[in-house]
Amino acid sequence: MTELVDPEDPAAGLAAVVALRRLADRLEDSQVERAMRSGWSWAEVAEVLGVTRQAVHKKHARRLLAAGVALRRR
Amino acid sequence: MSTDVRSILVRSARAEARRDGSRTIEAEHVLLALAGLHDSAAAQLLAEVGLTEDAIRTALNREWEQSLAVAGIAVRMGLLPEATPEQGRDPHIGESTKLLLHRAMDAAPKLGGGRIGPMRMLVGLLATERGRVARALEAAGVDRAALRTRAAEALAAGAR
Repeated sequence: MTELVDPEDPAAGLAAVVALRRLADRLEDSQVERAMRSGWSWAEVAEVLGVTRQAVHKKHARRLLAAGVALRRR
Repeated sequence: MSTDVRSILVRSARAEARRDGSRTIEAEHVLLALAGLHDSAAAQLLAEVGLTEDAIRTALNREWEQSLAVAGIAVRMGLLPEATPEQGRDPHIGESTKLLLHRAMDAAPKLGGGRIGPMRMLVGLLATERGRVARALEAAGVDRAALRTRAAEALAAGAR
């Protein structure tokens, strides 16, 4: 294994942190949308993400409703 | 259409943030907003060094790919799954935008009673070597320091 980041260049390592957060956010938005379009419940999505149902609902419900996703009640 | 700091941030930069799926308006969204003000001297200066809106989007994606590669992740942006953006979302001002506004206010010549215009915002935006914008410009082969000097000169010469 090579080293993950160049120990001499914290700028690149910190930029990688920002890039990973962006990637995680993008994946979360797209994959929650995909799951809900497939008929998953909020509780199921929350369980996989390891957060509360309220948290995932608060973060995504408005966007998915506006996107025309038919959401299950629970 | 007025092009002061308020309209740029509230209208264009916020729309860019929304399109980007971002919960905050960051410096890169302001850069895209400035490049989109085609009648402004700031957008013309950006276009002169090749920074059209499309070129900026490409550069930001390249920066993203390069920074992910540092963490060992090979991703092509075009292959990422898309998420539907939230049209009603109102992203708020992010930290990088706050910094650029402070730098814009501090830039010479001293800001009188007037509002901050596009060129002053561009000067503030280009003032830092840190963050996504600086890295994206580097990825695009743009000399940020030289561009900043030109913007500062234009501002001093009266460009808004």
